[in-house]
Amino acid sequence: MALSFKKNPVDLIFFSVTAAASLSVLALIAGILYVLFSESSLAIAKFGVFQFIFSTDWNAVKGSFGAATNLFGTAITTGLSLLMAIPVAIGIAIFVTEISPNFLKGPISVAIELLAAIPSIIYGMWGLFTLAPIMAKYVEPALQNSIGRVPVAGILFHGTAMGIDLLTASIILSIMIIPFTASISRDAFNLTPAVVKESAYALGATKWEVVKSVVLPYSKLGVFGGIILSLGRALGETMAVAFVLGNNHQITSSLLDAAATITVTLANEFTEADNDLYLSSLFYLALLLFVLSFITLAAAKFFLLKAERRYAR
Amino acid sequence: MSVERIRKMESLAALSLCTFAALFGLFWLVFILGDVLINGIGALNLSLFVNDPAPPGVEGGGLRNAFTGQLIITFFATLIGVPVGILGGTFLAEYARGKNIARLISILSDIMVSVPSIVVGAFVYAMLVKPLGHFSGWAGAVALAVIMIPVVLRTTEDMLTLVPWTLREAAFALGAPYYKVIIQVAYRGAASGILTGILLAIARIVGETAPLLFTSFNNAFFSLKMNEPIASLTVTVFQYAMGPYEIWHKQAWAASFVITIFVLMLTILGRIIIKWKYGKS
Repeated sequence: MALSFKKNPVDLIFFSVTAAASLSVLALIAGILYVLFSESSLAIAKFGVFQFIFSTDWNAVKGSFGAATNLFGTAITTGLSLLMAIPVAIGIAIFVTEISPNFLKGPISVAIELLAAIPSIIYGMWGLFTLAPIMAKYVEPALQNSIGRVPVAGILFHGTAMGIDLLTASIILSIMIIPFTASISRDAFNLTPAVVKESAYALGATKWEVVKSVVLPYSKLGVFGGIILSLGRALGETMAVAFVLGNNHQITSSLLDAAATITVTLANEFTEADNDLYLSSLFYLALLLFVLSFITLAAAKFFLLKAERRYAR
Repeated sequence: MSVERIRKMESLAALSLCTFAALFGLFWLVFILGDVLINGIGALNLSLFVNDPAPPGVEGGGLRNAFTGQLIITFFATLIGVPVGILGGTFLAEYARGKNIARLISILSDIMVSVPSIVVGAFVYAMLVKPLGHFSGWAGAVALAVIMIPVVLRTTEDMLTLVPWTLREAAFALGAPYYKVIIQVAYRGAASGILTGILLAIARIVGETAPLLFTSFNNAFFSLKMNEPIASLTVTVFQYAMGPYEIWHKQAWAASFVITIFVLMLTILGRIIIKWKYGKS
């Protein structure tokens, strides 16, 4: 492979051009980090790191900005959506790989992949026009009348059922990441060698016992990586939640209250920022989001690579 | 009850639960898709494509400005993103194959594929909008190109890696320099795979909204100037859906329908090409 391409001038040019193109990825990452950092320097100098992260103040008039409300919204929507999406996604993956008859496997897999390709703005708009009214009219009153009456858990469902709130946003986000998580889990399940499964069947194991004691343990690393990857995706998702979260900067105990995530704040306020400190604080939020999701995605990649290496053996 | 019986019941219960989960998941997804199709088809009409928006709240009008704007932005984003992506992927799969730098760039590209697109928007805003003092179609195209590069780069790398090394050796044996081997042997073998990568990358950026919000912004008027704010379908959907007028909501459904159909068609086309070329994958 170490060919002496340098002997040929055209080859040297082609080498340099392709090398430059691939280094553009490194340049982009470094560039994004640098630009976000320098743009937020004003806010970093004013608020520091800890004060910014823990301050719940987000007041453009007073010129006082803190990320706590945004981080809260991001954490709740991401956590809640994963909680709802993971069992369904793994159920789908088990169904496709182990239960469904062969003639259904192809179509369902294709359907999942197509649904993963639908742009997030479609999910967001559907949430605003279709899901939010259903939530406000039926689901949320029902929740208030059942769990809402339970002393401690009831706090989660206080307030007026408007449909524009943390719960609706989390549900849309979870519907959106289901196909993604399901398709990665399916790929991980599919890598379980047939011989191992067959030997379990030969010992008299039922289908569920095979799934539980052979397939899941064998593919847990891949599934885990896939879940973290979904987490990274959900963290940065903007349009699916921007329609139905209400962009209200508050930390609330009720899931039926409007809130704001980092992404929703950026989407709604970026073009409205009328002074340098405001804009700088928004860039600071973007920097936090970039660092957070980069670390999450890197961790996901680490687990997926580790899983890949294990299967390769 | 015998132990076997309990185990069988347990298995049946767990598997039913999985089947139910699958049905539950599919239900929502069919619900969304069906809703977009029904509402979208209901709102489709010819004037949507040939007329510009009427003043807010007035009946009629169309989204010609957004359709053309979207096409122009996507075209230029592809023009910037695809060559850089293909060349970058070529370096990883050919000159740097197996080297640590190739592995590093490959992993970082995978991460970049999933990085929040709104952060890319903020980055381009700082680079191209703030210094120039105005939103522009160019800024939007660059933001989408930034999203596109890692996608195209990774598929190109994967597809070139699939081309058997022996083919290249045969060409080397004839005395061909490496660049000729790449262009005439490797690219030819990987062409359909790379094309699929490009289609999927276009499908990805056509649905992107967040990076356009503060780069190309929006424009209520028909404009072909890349140096000015320019309308796009996705940003228009966001603005119209959040707006107060019934006619805006209808047009937002119609635009969503067009975006969805376009993205699904590209994705299916990509799958067909892959299947036809590489068999069952």
